[in-house]
Amino acid sequence: MELIFSTLINGLSLGGIYAMIALGYTMVYGIAKLLNFAHGDIIMVGGYIIYVFLATNNPLLAVAMAVVGCVILGVCVEKVAYRPLRGASPLAVLITAIGVSNLLQSLAQIIFGSAPKMATVYDFGVVKLMGATIQISSLVTLGVAFAVMTALTLFVKYTRIGRAMIAVSEDRDAAQLMGINVNSIITITFAIGSALAALAGLFYLLKAPSVSSTLGSMPGIKAFTAAVIGGIGSIPGAMLGGILLGMVESISYKITAIAPYTDAIEFSILIIILLVRPTGFLGKKRREKV
Amino acid sequence: MNLKNLKLRHYINYIVIGLMTLVLSIITFTGGRFDNSMLFLLEKVAISIILAVSLSLVVGFLGELSLGHAGFMCVGAYLGGKVASLLVPYLGNGVLALVIALVVGCAAAAFCGVIIGIPALRLRGDYLAIVTLAFGEIVKSLFQNSSDESFGGSLGLETPRFDKSYLFIIAFVLVLLTLAIVQNLIRSKHGRAITAIRDNEIAARASGINVTKYKLLAFILSAAFAGIAGVLYSYSNYTVQSMKFGYNYSIEILVMVVLGGMGSINGSIIAAALITYLNTKLATILTGDLAVLQNLLYALILIVIIIYNNAPALKGFRDKYNIGVLAEKIIKQHRDPAHVKDDKAKWDVVPTKISMDEILSVDMNPQDNAPQKKQKGDK
Amino acid sequence: MKFLKTTALILTAVMCMGIFTGCTGTQSGYTSDNTEFIIGVSGPLTGGAAMYGQAVANSAQIAVDEINAAGGLNGIKFKLVATDDMHDATKVSTNYSSMLEGGMQVSLGTVTTAPGLEFKNLSVDDNVFFLTPSASGDDIPTNDNGYQMCFADGNQGKVAAEFVNENFSGQTIGAFYKSDEAYSKGIYDQFKANLDPSVTVIETSFSDANATDFSTQIDTLKECSFIFMPTYYTPASLFMTQAKDTIPVGAVYYGCDGFDGIDSIEGFDITTIPQSVTMLSHFNSKATEGPAKVFIDKYVARYGAATLNQFGASAYDCVYAIYGAMQKAIDEGEKISVTISASDLCDILKEQFQGGYTLSNAVTGDSISWDSTGYVNKIAIQYVIKEAN
Repeated sequence: MELIFSTLINGLSLGGIYAMIALGYTMVYGIAKLLNFAHGDIIMVGGYIIYVFLATNNPLLAVAMAVVGCVILGVCVEKVAYRPLRGASPLAVLITAIGVSNLLQSLAQIIFGSAPKMATVYDFGVVKLMGATIQISSLVTLGVAFAVMTALTLFVKYTRIGRAMIAVSEDRDAAQLMGINVNSIITITFAIGSALAALAGLFYLLKAPSVSSTLGSMPGIKAFTAAVIGGIGSIPGAMLGGILLGMVESISYKITAIAPYTDAIEFSILIIILLVRPTGFLGKKRREKV
Repeated sequence: MNLKNLKLRHYINYIVIGLMTLVLSIITFTGGRFDNSMLFLLEKVAISIILAVSLSLVVGFLGELSLGHAGFMCVGAYLGGKVASLLVPYLGNGVLALVIALVVGCAAAAFCGVIIGIPALRLRGDYLAIVTLAFGEIVKSLFQNSSDESFGGSLGLETPRFDKSYLFIIAFVLVLLTLAIVQNLIRSKHGRAITAIRDNEIAARASGINVTKYKLLAFILSAAFAGIAGVLYSYSNYTVQSMKFGYNYSIEILVMVVLGGMGSINGSIIAAALITYLNTKLATILTGDLAVLQNLLYALILIVIIIYNNAPALKGFRDKYNIGVLAEKIIKQHRDPAHVKDDKAKWDVVPTKISMDEILSVDMNPQDNAPQKKQKGDK
Repeated sequence: MKFLKTTALILTAVMCMGIFTGCTGTQSGYTSDNTEFIIGVSGPLTGGAAMYGQAVANSAQIAVDEINAAGGLNGIKFKLVATDDMHDATKVSTNYSSMLEGGMQVSLGTVTTAPGLEFKNLSVDDNVFFLTPSASGDDIPTNDNGYQMCFADGNQGKVAAEFVNENFSGQTIGAFYKSDEAYSKGIYDQFKANLDPSVTVIETSFSDANATDFSTQIDTLKECSFIFMPTYYTPASLFMTQAKDTIPVGAVYYGCDGFDGIDSIEGFDITTIPQSVTMLSHFNSKATEGPAKVFIDKYVARYGAATLNQFGASAYDCVYAIYGAMQKAIDEGEKISVTISASDLCDILKEQFQGGYTLSNAVTGDSISWDSTGYVNKIAIQYVIKEAN
């Protein structure tokens, strides 16, 4: 029982992190129609910024700086690398995103060296729940992830900017004709996505206090998978996909016989889900018109 | 085939690669010996070309984004390599074993092409992209965790290496074979059907094109050639290690296709050769403490080239100053008006299906990157 | 457009031809312009395993600089060339051939095992001697031109299993390893094969995908009082940090040489770990005396402590071992000129290493020699890095 409970909590908190990253992926995709492969590396940058500012012994300041830094970085990347390509083939933008990802990783190694940096943000300690030992940071992660998702959903639904985002993702040209400044909406989307990535970086550090230049690459791909499972472009979908993936990963690692195949299992689940529901759980079906 | 239609420009790539292979083989067979680095580079270039051309079939011509090409290659490399390592003790490390390995690797990869081609019928755009990526990662993980006796597990499968002085000749013959099959397919009615599916699937279906058949065909062929590249890979290395075949490698192949220009086979060939050459050069020049600059330079070059090649704002500049135009000015002072009008369509801006929305919006907004002319291969 | 492509194609063809001309050469000619002995090494200088490659490159450079400062080998200096393989076997052929054609005469092989499997086959074709500091795979030194400075994985697993059989017979122990890494899995497999059947093992593994979050694995091992951890120190330190409230206080983490450096990770305070940490290794980066201490001081002064680990210590010894063997060969009457070909030097060195050559007072052992396969003979020391609180 306690085994099941602790696996559940682990899975939920890991899922929470995936969901945070997936939210960034899904928003950028929904609005800019761009697979931002550099998104995972923003997490890594966030982690390094936290590491640098932890020297001030003020975790809150470090987290705030990470969020600000990532937002600035995300907006700059969008302006320099993606905006010139607006209207070009989506594949060209995809390749640029990969270039940016490589660039950020190399820069991180040049600046911070090859050895991973340890950065203990804050030790929340543990709590005994139903006989299982639970890291409080897992619960914090889970709580923040849910709060962020709720806030985002409300933001998108009820604010002018949020509705403008929906309009841009539905039909960019029509939105422009209705007087929406598409460029600034896309910039805002990148800013939000990057802030979420910075938070994901924080949660990674809470789980495991180590940051290296490759920190973001695999979580990035996993989160992309989560976003697709949930239906890319859908905010609750990203949350759902993230949690599902986190649970699967946590359960699979629990069972010795299949533990080495965890990645394969996660990706197989993705394929099966997509075969049953070609646009993910909550993705919109688009009817093609001629 | 009518001789009148046999235009030089259609066959220029066979001729260039064929001549090059011929010259190098003559040098080799008359006792000349190339440096190992040269031979390794040639092998790598040939493998890259086969991969890029085969991926170009799916991405450039069928218009589906595939991020799992390395997965097909992985299947080919492991199965071909395994067959080779079983056969070599009996048949010797010669062409016969190689051909059998090629057939097995190719068939295995093609089978995986069927497996991935079937979801391709149901999914579109980025959903398909993630499925191919997932496929690549699954294959990688399965071989990674195989038992030591079957496929070597985490240490990789030991495979026989073909005599390095001659392998590049076989590799380039396979490049020619790939080109012959892919290029002839593209220029046939089947190729036109495939490009029609890219440009508008519903219209293609309405015109009586068997979309299912042609999508599967493109996926299977593409996978089969990736399998051939995989077998070549296993023959050009002493070990096959699955770590190599992650999504990063798939993306590297995709970069070749995109840089070469979507739907341009010659472009893919040139980009594959140049990127492989660039990577090798960077690796040999930047050693020691400078090694960290390799990735940085590669990434910068990639970003700059892509923006330069694709940014709509730079279009005027590109049209004025590019190698083609400059060369044309030098070589050909008086332009034939008949040629100037001809085929101004930019193939790299033809939207693929991953931007179905954009294709749809094109109908309402004609100046927004509309493909002005649909076909190029079928002229 | 078509004209453009034709032109581009012709230009490329011309360029290719340009590359090809003048590329023929023979192996013996590569070293004819050498003014220094060139030592080559291929290792991950970038990417996830970069700290190991950099440790090797840095330490070997220290050794080379020291030898040169002391006058080199009869006045001839050494030069180190380090190429980057990103822990990817495919890059090895390019690195190897470019180094060989650039005049490499002797090599430190590769830093990690997976690329090393490629390197050993390439080098045996050309008869190039290599002494790898840290590619610990059991298959690495099986050719007659290959030698290891580190303990082979299988041997480490065996020694660890003997320790467990002796002390934990009939009990249950835990094991934590990385399933997709040759080093970790290599040790673990041998460990398991040599384990007494009376010992029950609860095993958990991880792979690259979740290399930082071990909550699930910790949960599985939470009742074990002895945990065998054949991993490198980064995942191990993360495991310990995350497990400090879950794993019983007083439990023992037992690692192999990959553990070395765990007590000097920046930001990881090993004293906050309530469990005891022990390793079986040839180098202790907290050494307070002897050659190890001297090496550590030199390394930290020049490159900082972040990348100090047993990889570097091994590499330092490798350079001295090669230097010493060449010196001994000269003393015995061999002629080693600065332009000696890699193959000739390989024959000389093979004879030395097979003939009982011993490196003494080295950083990773007082007396180091090699057996006929190429495995190293030196004493593995059990270091208690930290006592249980």
